[in-house]
Amino acid sequence: MTFREINSKIVEATVVPGQRLYSQRGAMLAYRGEVSFTPNVQGGQGGVMSMIGRRLANEDTPLMTVEGSGTVLFGHGGHHVQVIRLTGDTLYVEADRLLAFEGTLQQGTMFLGSQGGVMGMVRGQISGQGLFTTTLKGQGAVAVMAHGGVFEVPITPQRPVHVDPQAYVAHHGDVRNKLSTALGWRDMVGRGSGEAFQLELSGSGAVFVQASEEKL
Amino acid sequence: MLAVDMTGDAVKAKNGSMVAYDGQMAFKKLSGGGEGIRGMVTRRLTGEQMTVMEVKGQGTCWFADRASEINLVQLQGDKLYVESSNLLATDAGLRTGTSFTGLRGATQGNGLFTTTVEGHGQAAITSDGPAVVLRVSPQYPLTVDPGAYIAHQGDVRQSFQSGVTFRTFMGEGGGEAFQIRFEGNGLVYVQPSERNTIAGDV
Amino acid sequence: MYGAPGGGPTVHDPMTLPVDDNVNNYTFCVELKGSQWFLQKGKMIAYYGSIDFNGVGHGRLDRLVRTSFHSPLHASDWVVAEGSGKMLLADRAFDVNSYDLDDGNLTIRSGNLLAFQPSLSLKQSIVPGFLTLIGTGKFVAASNGPVVFMEPPLRVDPQALVGWADCPSPCHHYDHGYLTGVMGGLRALTGLGGASGEEHQFEFVGAGTVLLQSTEILMAEQATGAVPHEPGVPGSGAGAGGHGGPGAQSGAPRLPGQLGDLQRRFGL
Repeated sequence: MTFREINSKIVEATVVPGQRLYSQRGAMLAYRGEVSFTPNVQGGQGGVMSMIGRRLANEDTPLMTVEGSGTVLFGHGGHHVQVIRLTGDTLYVEADRLLAFEGTLQQGTMFLGSQGGVMGMVRGQISGQGLFTTTLKGQGAVAVMAHGGVFEVPITPQRPVHVDPQAYVAHHGDVRNKLSTALGWRDMVGRGSGEAFQLELSGSGAVFVQASEEKL
Repeated sequence: MLAVDMTGDAVKAKNGSMVAYDGQMAFKKLSGGGEGIRGMVTRRLTGEQMTVMEVKGQGTCWFADRASEINLVQLQGDKLYVESSNLLATDAGLRTGTSFTGLRGATQGNGLFTTTVEGHGQAAITSDGPAVVLRVSPQYPLTVDPGAYIAHQGDVRQSFQSGVTFRTFMGEGGGEAFQIRFEGNGLVYVQPSERNTIAGDV
Repeated sequence: MYGAPGGGPTVHDPMTLPVDDNVNNYTFCVELKGSQWFLQKGKMIAYYGSIDFNGVGHGRLDRLVRTSFHSPLHASDWVVAEGSGKMLLADRAFDVNSYDLDDGNLTIRSGNLLAFQPSLSLKQSIVPGFLTLIGTGKFVAASNGPVVFMEPPLRVDPQALVGWADCPSPCHHYDHGYLTGVMGGLRALTGLGGASGEEHQFEFVGAGTVLLQSTEILMAEQATGAVPHEPGVPGSGAGAGGHGGPGAQSGAPRLPGQLGDLQRRFGL
């Protein structure tokens, strides 16, 4: 286990030689042993093109590489931390919610517009996430941050899940997302119930939702 | 986070507090939040703002409000007095209204009226950190900081108390702080945090 | 409806409230039996019984303050609770914990200390912004997230540090490895790559316990008061830690997380 949740807000990571971790800059709370923290010029993996993509997309969260041998405590801003283990599937998450992740995971960016068409783009704009989101793929663990506690809602083909875009944290699995409105246009304009836009996730996988409508 | 399982029934909830749902849900904005037009008018007059939506459907609906803690209150015909900003959701069968609370509202800048919830069912109230429920009985009156007060229920009288002396020889921080004293029979909900209050700084 | 954390609410009354212990993670109950407690102003949320609150510096308390209050803290920031009953303490929904000192010492960030028994004496730490409690007794402290206890050797992000007990005061540790060498120089020259934010830590060695909070967001700092202007007193030229102390720019203690002198040397 690379990541161990010490409490709801701290994870402890074990760093061993030859296995690097990436973490958000400045998220280290304490460490023991010989561990080095190097800012990442590339902002993770994926080369220059991917970096430019991220710059454009505002998904340019500064990361640092953590190497050496020892243990490191990560935590940031008093946010709740949730460790998600990936077994070959892809996690979609906003870059600024990434606290730390294992170097074994493939990092990429995905243009949300490519999934869900125009509505996908709107989604990005509404939740203020830009049109890109970060993807992590492979075998390994990710620690993500959320405002308030996080809970996991399973998505099955029979039961699509609707999420408030502001409360959305991340999702994984074979999931399609689209922006939906639970109300007719008439209700939405002027006197909506406050839930005018909803993110509809269908397919099979899981979505992580935070107990707050506040972004990080 | 509050999870509500619904089978065709309805709940009333604070506007915008839904974070996720599965199944089929419909959201409808309610005006005022009870007592029909009369309730609305008093609300308008008193500035006790509360925008409520009605959620109806089949499935599970999750509610949350700015990562605050959610406390469930069971009502069996008695009346709950709660700051409107702290009321998250109620069973649709509960009646909500407003009540004059005198001076206390004034110090909190919340207007002079407070929301009341009445009937049989459950209400969910939010607090900054989990609320502590304190019993008030004739032999044990309770004194509360106005900033930490969120709700009370039962047959309770409240009065203002300003017996806190704050004298220092340096002449700093003089003046007096206000506290609310509860007497009678009932429960008082306090949160482990203090809103900004004009008075009550102990 | 279901799913509220903790299930049904527990109703407390003066009989069931704990004695000098936590009611939950965020609320602490103090029992007074004619005794006294020091508490930071604004942290009492409710009480049963008859308890008086008086500002520190209130004439009648002069003797008490003289024996247990050695820090020239802003007198108006602290009150003495006196009487009999039970009172609840809380601080902005931060985690609160009590600590027992048995003829010991513990140094704590000034903003984290909520309340303490007068059997402890409170002094200003030589480290600016920190207070040291010495003696035997109980005190209550808040932290942003639960406190994690660690043993040295350990390097700690300055902002995550709540306090330390029984071990020597920490020293600064700079990550020179990152700033030297070809890459480091290049980074410093071009600004490319930026800083990892982890170039500076507090290093603890020796035997003792280090207290960490799970966040890098600081609790609001409480003024610890200025130290005397005397040769040999660290921070005395800068009004260390005090609010708007004179000369806050020049000799002011470095903000945590900054590179300090290294930063200037590389012109970052």
